[in-house]
Amino acid sequence: MTRFLLFTSTAALLALPAAAETFRWAGTTDPQTMDPHAVNSTPVLGFLNNVYEGLVRRGRDMAIEPSLATAWEPIGDGAGWRFTLREGVTFHDGSEFNAEDVLFSYRRASSEEADVRSWFAPVSDVVVVDEHTVDILTSSPQPLFPDSIANWMMMDAGWAEANGAELPSRDTENFAMRNANGTGAFMLESRQPDLETVLVPFEGWWGEADHGITEAIFTPIQNSATAVAALLSGEVDMINPVPVQDAERVDANEGTRVIRGIESRVIMLGFAHDHETLRNGAENPFADLRVRQAVAHAVNVPAILQTNMRGSAEPAAQLVAAGTSGYSDANGERPAYDPEAARALLAEAGYPDGFAFDFSCTNDRYLNDESVCQAIVGMLAQVGLDVTLDAMPVSNYWPQLREDNFDMYLLGWSPGTFDAEHPIRFLVHTSGDRLGTWNFGGYSNPRIDALLPVMQSEIDPVARQAAMDEAAAIIQDDMAYVPLYVQPLLWGVRDGVSVTQRPDDFFILRWVELE
Amino acid sequence: MLSYILRRVFQSVLVLLVVGLVAFAMFRFVGDPVDTMLGQERTMQDIERLRESLGLNKPFFIQYWDFLVRAVQGDLGISYRQGRPVAEIIAERLPATLELAAVSGAFALIFGIVFGIFTAIRRDGFAANAIMTLSLIGVSLPTFLIGILLIYVFAVELRWLPSFGRGDVVDLGWWSTGFLTQSGLVALILPSITLGLYQMTLIMRLVRSEMLEVMRQDYIRFARARGLKDRAIHFRHALKNTLVPVITVTGLQLGSIIAFAIITETVFQWPGVGLLFINAIQFVDIPVMAAYLMLISVMFVAINLIVDLLYVAIDPRLRTDGKGA
Repeated sequence: MTRFLLFTSTAALLALPAAAETFRWAGTTDPQTMDPHAVNSTPVLGFLNNVYEGLVRRGRDMAIEPSLATAWEPIGDGAGWRFTLREGVTFHDGSEFNAEDVLFSYRRASSEEADVRSWFAPVSDVVVVDEHTVDILTSSPQPLFPDSIANWMMMDAGWAEANGAELPSRDTENFAMRNANGTGAFMLESRQPDLETVLVPFEGWWGEADHGITEAIFTPIQNSATAVAALLSGEVDMINPVPVQDAERVDANEGTRVIRGIESRVIMLGFAHDHETLRNGAENPFADLRVRQAVAHAVNVPAILQTNMRGSAEPAAQLVAAGTSGYSDANGERPAYDPEAARALLAEAGYPDGFAFDFSCTNDRYLNDESVCQAIVGMLAQVGLDVTLDAMPVSNYWPQLREDNFDMYLLGWSPGTFDAEHPIRFLVHTSGDRLGTWNFGGYSNPRIDALLPVMQSEIDPVARQAAMDEAAAIIQDDMAYVPLYVQPLLWGVRDGVSVTQRPDDFFILRWVELE
Repeated sequence: MLSYILRRVFQSVLVLLVVGLVAFAMFRFVGDPVDTMLGQERTMQDIERLRESLGLNKPFFIQYWDFLVRAVQGDLGISYRQGRPVAEIIAERLPATLELAAVSGAFALIFGIVFGIFTAIRRDGFAANAIMTLSLIGVSLPTFLIGILLIYVFAVELRWLPSFGRGDVVDLGWWSTGFLTQSGLVALILPSITLGLYQMTLIMRLVRSEMLEVMRQDYIRFARARGLKDRAIHFRHALKNTLVPVITVTGLQLGSIIAFAIITETVFQWPGVGLLFINAIQFVDIPVMAAYLMLISVMFVAINLIVDLLYVAIDPRLRTDGKGA
């Protein structure tokens, strides 16, 4: 009945002269929970960034800026960080935000049940100094700690306790999954999982709001053709993403356009470095550097960008996109497309007639992933490699990779911290329980392992960047991965709506401008 | 009679149990839910701990047994994706699917019978031939394509009808209905046509051929000889006798309308159980997949059981404990 009442009351509102600006947008995935600590995924964190806030936040250019903390400084010689909290901030239910909430949010987000607990791995303790000062102590110097907690969102201790949501939970229902009480610019008005989530501006927000939205409605639309139709027919004001092949149509249509940007996600090829044999039983050629180099030269990245990405993406030379912090400007060159050189390298490695192997690929994870993989198979065939494509849904893909059941594979990586250290920690460091957890191919280089702690703890930015440059050069020389391109961001909007794209694919509602 | 019913009920339960076993054996091939549940910064320990707590390390028949034990107690588990009880989610989504199925079933039945009679009576007319040809196109195009086509014509170009969703719904206790609001009714049109088109064609062709058959019977000829009006012959004498097989087929098709709703629901973002199932597959949400498959098989088994029992009621020869013979 409430929905019906809501419908009639908004209809009544629309009849009034005061302009009610309802903004409707659609995305492929419904944020599966409203709990900011339960799930570490882009749909959830991106959506909740509109409702909850962290101590710091990222601006339009991904730079860290003050949010619930107005200032922060290192304690002593790398013992931790002191955050000065903003005064006069209230949660949506009216209770005041203070240092106790920070301590509570730390305990909650670093608990066993929280998916985001890895952010707090270096934290040894959180100390409340006074009502508006908090010390976060770390076991080693963490120069980039503030950057790593931009998505650590603050929850009200009193609200969580009153509603029995002191901890995130996975196997029971929890109040915080369907309700929210943040400090952000928008409040959760109603939530029907998988159906519709309604946000309204928070009148008591500490910041300046100039978006002009009075109500924002999010609807998940899974089928991309339906989402495009909904945009073209004017039923929604914005969709994310627009399928690559529909971008021209949305642009050509009167009244809608595509906003193009670059996501921070790099698409790359990975190899079975440490396997004895290929899946077909033959000796593993990918242990040989020259074979990996041959693959790098055989793949025509500009052609992939032209045909599969319709010119929307950018080539990548490193595991992070240009512009990411720690990106190595000295190593910005990617291997040129050179089938002759590829053939020569293969011959030199002892495979003048090529060899046969399997190429594992997702078909529902990255933009046009399967068609890109098919193109790569064709390109490798031209240098004599007999590649069998093994494309599968992502839910089957990760288990296969974890079981070492692959020869060469496609991988996309978006650095959660927006820093070049992130992929090195997960993809390049020698595989272990906490580090190198996505290093499926078993690449291992002691120098990289030695450089990682420097990247994590070096306070001096010049020395840190030197470590970054050295690591980037080693990864390129060893051809640990072959970075291909940076995935594009394609959002569709109707005329009169302007939005800001952030490379982490977060949609920040307060940056929307309605004409 | 009683022993026959008991035997059929027993067989039905057996079928259900086997369906469940096959389903649980298949879940391993759908993928591993832990990767989608944990973020990219998970450790190997996190993966192991989650597998352990979800019981994914156990052999599938043990997982199935655990599911059955809890299901018998009315607990269908917690969705991996939404973290809410599966029974609650399904109860929330079922009205959308049932309303869609009812409307498209009614659409298929009404238009199927009307067109069937029309094409039988005007066998060689232009309109009848046009309907037959169009229905052939309708039945050979995949549902997905028909849905997208309808969306582009009626939502994007003409802007008469919405392209997605269920419109505004009214909650009547635990049932949410789209029948009571204008936007809810309008939203039903395109998905119902998409879902019902195949069944409509089927019923239309069945009615047409039955009708042509009946029209050749002696009693129709005699009716004509008696000088009865065409209308009376067609509708009172011929139609009545064509409807028996139509009713049987319609009953059996009701189950497949609900099961086929998956594709239509995905195209129109219709918030029913079919869309829920697609979501569950992508996420490897095993409790939801299991509950949905059990629900659908219970439905099919129940419909078949009812049909079988109706036959027994109608045809005394099937009563084996029989005084009749």
